[in-house]
Amino acid sequence: MKKAITLTVNGDRRELYVATHHSLLDVIRNELGLMGTHRGCDTGNCGACTIQVDGLAMNACLLLAVDYDGSDILTIEGVAQEGALHPVQRALVEKGGIQCGFCTPGMVMNALALLADDPHPTEADIRARLSGNLCRCTGYAKIVEAVGSVQ
Amino acid sequence: MAGRQFIGKPARRVDAADKVTGRTRYVADYQLPGMLYARCLRSEWPHAVMTHLDVSPALNVPGVAAVITSADFVDDGRFGFPVRDQYILAHERVRHVGEAIAAVAAETPEAAAAGLHAIRCELEPLPAVFESAQALAPDAPQIGPDRSDGRHPNFLHSEIVRLGDPDRALPQCPVVLDAAYSVAQQEHAYLETEGALAIPTPEGGVVVYASNQSPFINREILASVLGLPADRVRVIQAPVGGSFGGKDDLNYQASAQCAALALKSGRPVRMTFPREESMIASYKRDAMHMRVRLGALPNGDLQVCKFTGRLDSGAYASQSVFTSWRAAVHAMGAYRYEHCHVDIDCVYTNNGYAGAFRGFGNTEVCFAIEQAIDEMADALGQDPLAFRLRNCLRLGDETAFGQRLEESVGLAECLEAVRKASGWDEKRAAYARQPAGPIRRGLGVAAVFHGTSLGAEGADYAASTISVAEDYSIALTSGLTDYGTGAATVFTLIAAEELGTRPERIRLLRPDTNTSLESGPTVASRSTMLGGNAARLAAQNLRQMLDFAAASLLNCPQNRLLRVGEAYIGPSEEPATWERIVDHARSLGLILSAHGRWSAPHIHWDSQAGRGSAYIAYHFGAHVAEVTVDMRTGKTDVTGFWAAHDVGATIFPQGAMGQVYGGVAQGLGYALMEEARYEAGYLQATNFDTYLIPTAKDVPDITCILLEKPYSQGPFGAKNVAEPAMVPAAPAICNAIAHATGRRVRDLPANLERVLLGHALSHSDGGLACKIGLARPR
Repeated sequence: MKKAITLTVNGDRRELYVATHHSLLDVIRNELGLMGTHRGCDTGNCGACTIQVDGLAMNACLLLAVDYDGSDILTIEGVAQEGALHPVQRALVEKGGIQCGFCTPGMVMNALALLADDPHPTEADIRARLSGNLCRCTGYAKIVEAVGSVQ
Repeated sequence: MAGRQFIGKPARRVDAADKVTGRTRYVADYQLPGMLYARCLRSEWPHAVMTHLDVSPALNVPGVAAVITSADFVDDGRFGFPVRDQYILAHERVRHVGEAIAAVAAETPEAAAAGLHAIRCELEPLPAVFESAQALAPDAPQIGPDRSDGRHPNFLHSEIVRLGDPDRALPQCPVVLDAAYSVAQQEHAYLETEGALAIPTPEGGVVVYASNQSPFINREILASVLGLPADRVRVIQAPVGGSFGGKDDLNYQASAQCAALALKSGRPVRMTFPREESMIASYKRDAMHMRVRLGALPNGDLQVCKFTGRLDSGAYASQSVFTSWRAAVHAMGAYRYEHCHVDIDCVYTNNGYAGAFRGFGNTEVCFAIEQAIDEMADALGQDPLAFRLRNCLRLGDETAFGQRLEESVGLAECLEAVRKASGWDEKRAAYARQPAGPIRRGLGVAAVFHGTSLGAEGADYAASTISVAEDYSIALTSGLTDYGTGAATVFTLIAAEELGTRPERIRLLRPDTNTSLESGPTVASRSTMLGGNAARLAAQNLRQMLDFAAASLLNCPQNRLLRVGEAYIGPSEEPATWERIVDHARSLGLILSAHGRWSAPHIHWDSQAGRGSAYIAYHFGAHVAEVTVDMRTGKTDVTGFWAAHDVGATIFPQGAMGQVYGGVAQGLGYALMEEARYEAGYLQATNFDTYLIPTAKDVPDITCILLEKPYSQGPFGAKNVAEPAMVPAAPAICNAIAHATGRRVRDLPANLERVLLGHALSHSDGGLACKIGLARPR
């Protein structure tokens, strides 16, 4: 079964006709072709598909697209403005918080939401908030440092 | 290092901007017009004979375009090196849960799943073996291939090290330790699952994009099983979302499945694995049972080591022949002995299968020997760090297998560095006096040595090409893959240093079997030394042409040329830009293209004698872990970590330190929580809800110390770091647990049950997680 929904994605209004069993992750990747949002586990455990829905960081794989009709969606493609990296992105590049890169977009999306809530988080706050985003490469050291360096 | 512009200086990853903006395209992100989606039918039995397989009903399912079985491949799709015991799709028998039987390509993932359901496949279960100790019983069912030497077919391989006579010497030692240790299978847990995309070519060949480690090995297997000449098969390396040794065999199978489906359907075919399928089907770090006997004098001099290990290779050989060799060479640890015997045997069982994983045998044996060393220090009443310093290998020493260490030996310095940085002496003394209570603190140490690259495993070489493009940029290739390690940045910095150009001018092209040069496998922490030397030689060869052109343009001998940035300056002191030099070189008719190939110095290992020179050089390192243990629950928190590594020289500091942080985190998971447990052949954890890996909250602040004892043959003195960064973490943590609690956890992982009760609590889901995972509709 399919249903018409409207999403605002990275500032663009999109009219979509989506299967009722498809997740926002399915729609973002397969209908909108935004491949920066990654599918890591499809069960909400790894955080690779983290996006922002109306300003909240959420796992796109756990959300049925039809439930989010009218929502404002931000994906990694909407973060860098006119080619200029967001300070969180720049910090990850400079500090070395990136290795294979598969977790990186989800990590950025969650870090942005964290900093919007609390511009001056402690290291413990950062570790707690990012604990839903798995990274197998970096040991988190430079990710935590990068997020903490953005004020 | 004096006079160097880029080596060892702060730099950014060459691929960082694409990755941080989501522009990097992994295999699952590739979409082509007319592309089909592939999926595999996989075994739900750990051991079974195929009594009936009819795939034709799948072709009647709407949307299904092609179906394949082992009959679609040359020689039934058999492959594997050094033991050719695997198939692209199962042939007549399945030997582990999750083994692929048939593959379907369809218009949608849902149609592919429906196609799988339509396949008529009857499997008749066979008796199976799940305990490696029982694999060689006379009545054990045969899992391995037939043998002609009269040995049990479930015997796969053995490796030895021989020095002196431990059986005679051990009883004469005043202090003796005898302990058994075991490690569980470990899942690589790369965040990106397996995948491949195959595109048929008009010439009847195929182009494959794969998330693999070694594209040239993939091409060799593809050409062999598809019956195509190598020039009709092109493998292009896709960006890889983590590997850690885990993206070999299964990705080669997926590549061949996609390629056969693409050739059959005439359309592009992509396969990407859901997480459950990835965990169920993929190979793991081997499980190993080990027994260590050590003998020492009362003064603390180690005399004897006798080490035996039994490696569970599971259903197929994969890399276990090589893993067991690396395990044997490193099993006694980085210490001096008078007598040492090591025996590592590997056997077949029906527990999935084991393959390459960071550390490659050394991670497993290090867990045993580094706890045994601690237990021996306890028995002697000596400080475990001082005991290691007393006995550790130093410059000029001979290893237990008879290799004189003539340069680049920094183990004692690493031990001293972590001792100082961690506050070892003060904390050990303080924790020995800590008051009784539910929260205990402890500090543990472990050391590592780790042979660089392949060693005596095989021919060890790599090659690079380099050329100046029309736009004056420089195109560099390597046959080795950067699957997140930072190798691409290492190659770029080395070439920039040699050429005297900005790193930004260099574009590292991804490995491609049509445009880069075969360089052996991307394994064994060999990229920096092998690939780095190849890139260095290629750049030097190109530099010669540019220097020649500059001397011609500036009308002076080459030894009068100076460089200021990228520009050349001659006696006239008028700088000539890079572009002018390139233009002039072209006007002279020079083709600004070069290659470099580097072969490691020859070494020799005598496998019958168990002696020889195993590796060209060794990495040395030491870890100290600080833990708190809650005695009411068994919960262990790692609260501090200090890691010192002798890397020879640092090319790309951010990358080298990143390997250390990541290696420690992976070792922390191995120590405390990771267990890819098989019950009756069924994996018990099939996604990240039950297979736990460390989160940002589990990993403490890690102090990373890079020590540099240059190796004369390494690029700018560099050795290796990726694998040994993980190896000693788990024993350091378990030694800290023992220090905190007085309880020795000899079986991994040191989860709550093992720390609290001293043993694991067994539980089995009866194969439910695997069956649900394999039945998942997409």
